[in-house]
Amino acid sequence: MVVALLVWAGVWNFRKRQAEMEAAKSKIVLVKDGASGPTSAEGADVSGTALMGKVAPGFTLVDLSGKKVSLADFKGHPVVVNFWATWCGPCKLEMPWFEEFYGKYKGQGLVVLGVSQDDEDTPKDKIAEAVQKIGVTYPILLPSKTIAKDYALADYLPETFYLDKNGVVVEHSLGAPPKDEMEAHVRKAMGL
Amino acid sequence: MKQGGQRIVNSEQLTARLLVVMLALVLVTPMVWAQGISFEDPSAAAKKTHVVLASDALEVEAGKAQDVELVFRVDEGYHINSHTPKDELLIPTVLTLSAEPGVKVVSEAYPKGALFKLDVGDGEVLDVYQGEFRVRLRVVAARGESTLMGSLRYQACDHAACFPPKTLAVRVAVQGK
Repeated sequence: MVVALLVWAGVWNFRKRQAEMEAAKSKIVLVKDGASGPTSAEGADVSGTALMGKVAPGFTLVDLSGKKVSLADFKGHPVVVNFWATWCGPCKLEMPWFEEFYGKYKGQGLVVLGVSQDDEDTPKDKIAEAVQKIGVTYPILLPSKTIAKDYALADYLPETFYLDKNGVVVEHSLGAPPKDEMEAHVRKAMGL
Repeated sequence: MKQGGQRIVNSEQLTARLLVVMLALVLVTPMVWAQGISFEDPSAAAKKTHVVLASDALEVEAGKAQDVELVFRVDEGYHINSHTPKDELLIPTVLTLSAEPGVKVVSEAYPKGALFKLDVGDGEVLDVYQGEFRVRLRVVAARGESTLMGSLRYQACDHAACFPPKTLAVRVAVQGK
């Protein structure tokens, strides 16, 4: 029994260290000169990264006008799914960039969806007021706990998934990356 | 030994088995500890708070209104919005204290925030608390022991990401002398 427990402890330890090494590798961020560096000081949560290379989980949410919007509605389009909240300063700084990319590439099929992660009891008017202030025109979807679980979202925002026209996650970011990096992700999703 | 289909274990055999189990525990426990095996929930780190109450005891002169300070510390590398953030959409830091027997809070005053430029794009300038900050209270306490109870609601960010609003329980022992 003692030997079996020792073997089990050794295997556990080996697997744990391997997992930690993989997580550490994924935390390494290449920073260009003049870029803003790693996107978050607590970027240890790599859960969303698990969706990389996989078809993004489907969802149906309600937009600010009360209309149901499903990810499946945009089959064949590259889609940016950006999770944000009214209380998140960096989210509000990067959203105008998504608006800019949306204007630049929507003729080529790009779809941008902003999914609010405010509490579900946050008044819709408050979210609408924030959206107006930020100045984005792409669809804003109201909060749902289910989607946070399906996308294995981290405990912090912003978090963005870039899907190609087949719905496969080709890029994922936590925190607000530099603008040129965001555009590169958008272009990758578009196959450009 | 088997008797009537049942296996009978005598006291010597039972003692021997107990000794083996105890020996195994004695041998394995330090090995598990030494190899750094943790049974904690790995998600606990991600759920951690970013503010702590630095002092949880006050001594005041009984029956007299006087100023005291509650000292809070924000984790290094993070900031929280001040009590008066520049943007009305941001969540201000708010201390809420409940009425408790033996101690009365007459007023509270928040410190001024520091300016903090976000490291995203042109950078929005925020009004924040970083490191240590003190909320000044004017209190009147009765002689003896009482407790200030309440909570601090805050919302923390680092240079490029934000965490959901959190609530820190506040409990401070007050000694009226």
